Amino acid sequence: MSFRNYKEKIDEGDTVILYLCNNFFAIEVKPEIKNKKGELIENVYQTTFGALKVRNLIGSNYGSKVELSKGWGHILQPTPELWSLTLPHRTQIIYTPDISMILLQLDLVPGCVVVEAGTGSGSLTHALIRRVRPHGHVYTFDFHDHRAKVAQEEFQEHGLADFVTARHRDVLAEGFGDDLKEKADAVFLDLPKPWTGVPHAVAAIKNDGGRFCSFSPCIEQVQRTCLTLEQQGFQDISTMEVLQSEIKVSRKTVPVRDLSFLKHKKGTVQLVQVPRPTQSGPPIDLAADTLTQVSYDATVACDEDRSEANKPIIDRIPRANILNVATRISACMAADDVPKRMDLTPIEAPNTLAL
Amino acid sequence: MISRGKKRSKEFDLELTAEAVNLIEEIGLKVSGADNRNIYDDGRSQKLSASEISDLTYDSTKASDIVETLITNSNTFHNKTEFSQEKYLKKKEKKYFEYIQILRPNLRIITEILYRLDSSKVQGIRIDTLSQIITLSNISNEGNHLLYDSGSNGLLAAALLSAMGSEAKGKLVHMHPGNMSQKQALLAMNFDSEQFNKCLSVNVYSALRQVYQGCDTHTQKETVLESECNLKRKATDEIEHEIKIPKLDDSQIPIKDHDTDESNVAKKKPKWHFDNIAASEVLKNKVDSLVIASKEDPQNIFLELLPFVKPGRQFVIYYTVAEPLQNLYMILKSTSNVAALRLTCNWMRNYQILPERTHPEVMMNGSSGFLLTGYVLK
Ligand SMILES: C[S@@+](CC[C@H](N)C(=O)[O-])C[C@H]1O[C@@H](n2cnc3c(N)ncnc32)[C@H](O)[C@@H]1O
Repeated sequence: MSFRNYKEKIDEGDTVILYLCNNFFAIEVKPEIKNKKGELIENVYQTTFGALKVRNLIGSNYGSKVELSKGWGHILQPTPELWSLTLPHRTQIIYTPDISMILLQLDLVPGCVVVEAGTGSGSLTHALIRRVRPHGHVYTFDFHDHRAKVAQEEFQEHGLADFVTARHRDVLAEGFGDDLKEKADAVFLDLPKPWTGVPHAVAAIKNDGGRFCSFSPCIEQVQRTCLTLEQQGFQDISTMEVLQSEIKVSRKTVPVRDLSFLKHKKGTVQLVQVPRPTQSGPPIDLAADTLTQVSYDATVACDEDRSEANKPIIDRIPRANILNVATRISACMAADDVPKRMDLTPIEAPNTLAL
Repeated sequence: MISRGKKRSKEFDLELTAEAVNLIEEIGLKVSGADNRNIYDDGRSQKLSASEISDLTYDSTKASDIVETLITNSNTFHNKTEFSQEKYLKKKEKKYFEYIQILRPNLRIITEILYRLDSSKVQGIRIDTLSQIITLSNISNEGNHLLYDSGSNGLLAAALLSAMGSEAKGKLVHMHPGNMSQKQALLAMNFDSEQFNKCLSVNVYSALRQVYQGCDTHTQKETVLESECNLKRKATDEIEHEIKIPKLDDSQIPIKDHDTDESNVAKKKPKWHFDNIAASEVLKNKVDSLVIASKEDPQNIFLELLPFVKPGRQFVIYYTVAEPLQNLYMILKSTSNVAALRLTCNWMRNYQILPERTHPEVMMNGSSGFLLTGYVLK
């Protein structure tokens, strides 16, 4: 039930997210589960840091630390974003960067009615629900009966059943049904041959207009969809691709080589001092300074420069802390590594003004 | 749009129409060349002079008439390929346009307009990045939310308020460092007053002082604050200082009540005074998300605002360049009050989709800032 509202404490029946060493795991909080023989046994979740007794989570706070037998992790309340990262994959899914753009391009706000096909693993559906609830509704369709059924059960378990209806239906063949005629503010398609769904989308979209979006891996699909959209009177068609990259931040210590002292003959210069480059990192990492290898190389200057004679010539080779930044393309590409493209369109039926 | 008649006049009358005429269909292309081997760009292909053309635009009633005359007087048009003829017509259609469309504002449109006008005025926040700020802060119809924004012209407040919806249960505390909050995008959204009032725009100094010290203390010497206060504000200082701050929860601060119930003293209290009290109440009860988009270094702001966020909730920090966020990342890594830190940036490309002419559009402004996101721990 932990998807419905912001919560402070973990209750039995919640789905929680265990954050462990840069990884997320979804856990259903049931003190006991059935084993293979059908007997009820204590629910123990195994992690790389040892076992977690699920019963112990009940009553503790979201955001708190949990003890594992060989370490610890943190427990978070699931959000649609965390769910996209942890859900059981029944199909390919859409990830947060694309989901975010879809929500914004479909002009969704609380109260909207949105139609989606196919449901797939419900990754997008969870984000749609969050955006349109509590007064809006998501109607989601899949022609795979098991997927439609599992999705509906999942929404029920997540406490979202009031905001979503999952139906088993081939929307390309049968449309979205008479009860959705002129009801939708937006229609979203993530299925092969989306162009055949466009007329059905038109039927479902409200009389005073709405938005349409389809998500396709191949440009040929996008082309056919765009053509159909134009024929069906859609305006303001745009197609886009979004990529999110994660920047890995780490600290590295590298040597700095000084060559400037070569400009002067040894002995004629009193002091060659290379100022330590200003530290690029924050002060907390001063511990890293132990790595700094500063070598002093003192020589007494020659007679002519008696005044400075006692000053050593310093040849310093400091090591500066720099932040090493590498960019990694995140997993927002489709699993088949083809960037997916979306095309988006409103049929707003605005008043057109003419001469 | 109908020209007001007078030559050189830029005034138009508007008239409703059921259908817009497509220039290309109206004109109907007959002859076109196979390639552009016979086209020279010598500026002599158009026989009409500039002033003849401008007269034409005021005499004609239809864009198609103008463009047809232009084509008839063009040496090269019929030699152009079909594709470039179409491109030419598209260009002329834009120039001699005769239709405008009135759309209801929404976040998508406002974001695009502001970004296109001057992306630096919205701190370079592009639509893809904005869309992720909304999802990654897990904002919804529920809960109270905290935003620190020092320069997106109200775009972030508009975005978050729009995702909270018109019947949001909670408040959006919109902190800004200046005297007045930037509201351009917020106003452009045409929110109804109920939704608009969910946003409590407060000066960050006043709000935090209210939280920690319990009453307005503008009269105290504070150099930073002084410089940012205008005279009007100072004038009210004395009065506020004497007023006992009533214990209010955020739902009961209508200024009306005070106008009628209390004496003239209350009348002089500005709206921000009540917003400030309401905001501090929200902060004391802690918020469900934190979004920061600052021009200043985000570190202090984040560390000061973090205690107001409930454990387990998300935060999102936007900055135009990566370095301050990298520093903050390293600092937060070494503390134990946040988890799952991610520093990301976005890339986005639009496509032109036309039969036989599909291609990526010119890249949008390469950079759209960076996001540092994570979860608050207990
Ligand atoms: C890629 S998945 C959708 C993933 C989903 N967007 C998500 O984020 O989890 C495509 C789904 O569309 C369904 N589908 C394909 N053709 C369909 C049709 N004509 N009618 C209904 N569903 C269809 C498939 O069964 C599959 O589950």
